[in-house]
Amino acid sequence: MSTLRREAGLAMAVARKDALAELRGRHATVSALFFAAVVLLLFGFALGPDSARLAAAAPGLLWLAVVFAGILAVNRLHLLETEDGALEQLALYPVPRRVIYAGKAIGGFAVMLVLALVVLGAVGVLFAIDIAAAWFPLLVTVVLGAAGIAAVGTFYAGVTVRLRAREVMLPLLMLPVLAPLLLGAVKATAAALAGDPFGELGAWLQLLVAFDVIMIVAGAATYGFLLED
Amino acid sequence: MPQTTIYVSPRSLGAHDTRPPAVVTADLARLFAGTPALAGVSLRVEAGRTIALLGANGAGKTTLLRLLATAIQPSYGMAQVDGLDLGRQADLVRERVVYLSHATGLYDDLTARENLDFSARMLDTPERAARVERALGDVGLADRAETRVRDFSAGMRKRLALGRVLLGQASLVLLDEPLAALDEDGMRLVEQLLAAWREAGVTVLIASHAIERLERHLDGRVLLDRGLVAEVSGAGVSSNPLAPASERRQAVATG
Amino acid sequence: MKTRILGFVALTAVAAMTGIGLFVVPADLNQGDAQRIMYPHVASAWLAYLSFGVTAISGILWLWKRDLRFDAVALAGAEIGVMFTAFAIWGGMMWGRPIWGVFWQWEDPRLTTTALLLALYVGYLLLRQLTDDPERRATRAAIVGVVAAVDIPIVHFSVEWWRGLHQTATIGSPDRVLNPAAPMVFVGTLLGMLGAFTLAWGYLMIRRYQLARAEVQREEAARLDRLMSARTAEPAR
Repeated sequence: MSTLRREAGLAMAVARKDALAELRGRHATVSALFFAAVVLLLFGFALGPDSARLAAAAPGLLWLAVVFAGILAVNRLHLLETEDGALEQLALYPVPRRVIYAGKAIGGFAVMLVLALVVLGAVGVLFAIDIAAAWFPLLVTVVLGAAGIAAVGTFYAGVTVRLRAREVMLPLLMLPVLAPLLLGAVKATAAALAGDPFGELGAWLQLLVAFDVIMIVAGAATYGFLLED
Repeated sequence: MPQTTIYVSPRSLGAHDTRPPAVVTADLARLFAGTPALAGVSLRVEAGRTIALLGANGAGKTTLLRLLATAIQPSYGMAQVDGLDLGRQADLVRERVVYLSHATGLYDDLTARENLDFSARMLDTPERAARVERALGDVGLADRAETRVRDFSAGMRKRLALGRVLLGQASLVLLDEPLAALDEDGMRLVEQLLAAWREAGVTVLIASHAIERLERHLDGRVLLDRGLVAEVSGAGVSSNPLAPASERRQAVATG
Repeated sequence: MKTRILGFVALTAVAAMTGIGLFVVPADLNQGDAQRIMYPHVASAWLAYLSFGVTAISGILWLWKRDLRFDAVALAGAEIGVMFTAFAIWGGMMWGRPIWGVFWQWEDPRLTTTALLLALYVGYLLLRQLTDDPERRATRAAIVGVVAAVDIPIVHFSVEWWRGLHQTATIGSPDRVLNPAAPMVFVGTLLGMLGAFTLAWGYLMIRRYQLARAEVQREEAARLDRLMSARTAEPAR
């Protein structure tokens, strides 16, 4: 059991390192937030000005903005390791590879959570959605969605970090895999906002949990292969 | 030998002559996109020795060090560190080896102390806080502990990287161009480190273009040329050819 | 030689089943002749998924055994698979148009899942193209293949749920023909088509694998060649 504690401690050290670097340098969060804001604005232009239509589309727009901005964020977070060859150094510590993955994914989750919460608030304002009424299921959905994007994003950022045409490949690889998460998060959000008339909220949240768990396990199992050159 | 106060703590090493060779390689080769960076290196480095790897750019010095550090996998051949196989026991090898590359691998947005603290956690350094302070002091960066690495000069970054090397319990230290970017004080620091490592029985491999400065710290020298061992001299290191050329060709052909 | 026989058998089987599917089997009562597309469409879809499974498993075998021939199998699976996937989607659209009135129906879980499968395949193949070093390429591809393969069942379930909760399976949906109560002649023809296509798939896989393996061996020989010439070259001194 103490190995588990030790590994958890190591993962948290990695996560804390990422969080600290991110807080100070603000590479990922700020650009991702601005990007999400611009995307939401553009959605407004593209689908508006009928506010009823926008309100109906709001859950989809929310998660699309979060996913797109999330790709940016996750990319920038991994770039931290490419300055000065830090990734190679990181790979040489006598630490299990899954711990490094877990640490970076936790750090990614923190950033994604902040991103998603801010975008949720923005959507509430821009598309006149009443968030407060359903705040708890919305919070759960946001947490699960952010975790899934972080798990998948950390993995694919690791795959593409030394790849040519990285900026194109990261979304190309990530987005199809995120499809079920997108579906689940949007449906859960819509159900939550509508007061869950069909009782489907639970099913969608279960889908999100299953997705998160499976992706975290798959990512942790394979991340190590990415670190060997 | 100048008196040294630098603190190094390798894992408990046995008496000099009872230890297995620190490094044994047999026909170690590595290709990148079809080009051999290392074409077949067979060496034996005795424990506790300080050996220089010499050679022109592209001779394979960095590739050899990276292979021994487990940063990359071999394409062919075999290598052992402290009797542990590089391919199959890489995680155990990592506990014993530390590698200082050209790139210092530091995090710009973190302070010097934070960088070392992170490394100490990853290396499971005992008495972490004390050791971090000690390392900072030993490399002469105690007064810059709170400064972000982003504001460091190249020489200071190198020193900090050397500080990180001190935090581990390595019995094999791999240095890639350690003198690059260092001023006179920095180079003296490296000499002190070499002395401390020698005293602690740590094996050191140094890849460098120009080794004159460190001449008196060396036991042996290996000259690499185009991925092969061209010449071996001095004590503590020997060429380790396994078999006549024809048999070797056979061995390579079957993988 | 055996492969050539397989090729002939496969070709004959596909031709025969196509003939049966087009002319012998009776048309569906509701959907008419359009329903005949179902046979190759479903067969292709099955092979599209099978190929991806082969790619994923070969990738794992590469990671385990480090034999590049497994990577050759994975590549074959991906290329053949993408072909069958594209055909399955096209078939699905051709079938859907006369039945639904539109080419695409979001609520058809198989169509949308297969479309996503295509996207995953394309990503996989592009990733392979961008890496030159054979071992790195094999490793990256294997990992991406595994995660994508793990994703597919999740996609399938999520889309099923999506459709199920909306209760709008249209009357003329292609699904109706595939239920267990369908008459034997339909099921029989479908199975026959499945068998024929699988034979064809097997033939294509073997051929593509042979090509890929020859490539691997050629590269390996070239590497060894370069290695040996490096060893016997005159040293600088």
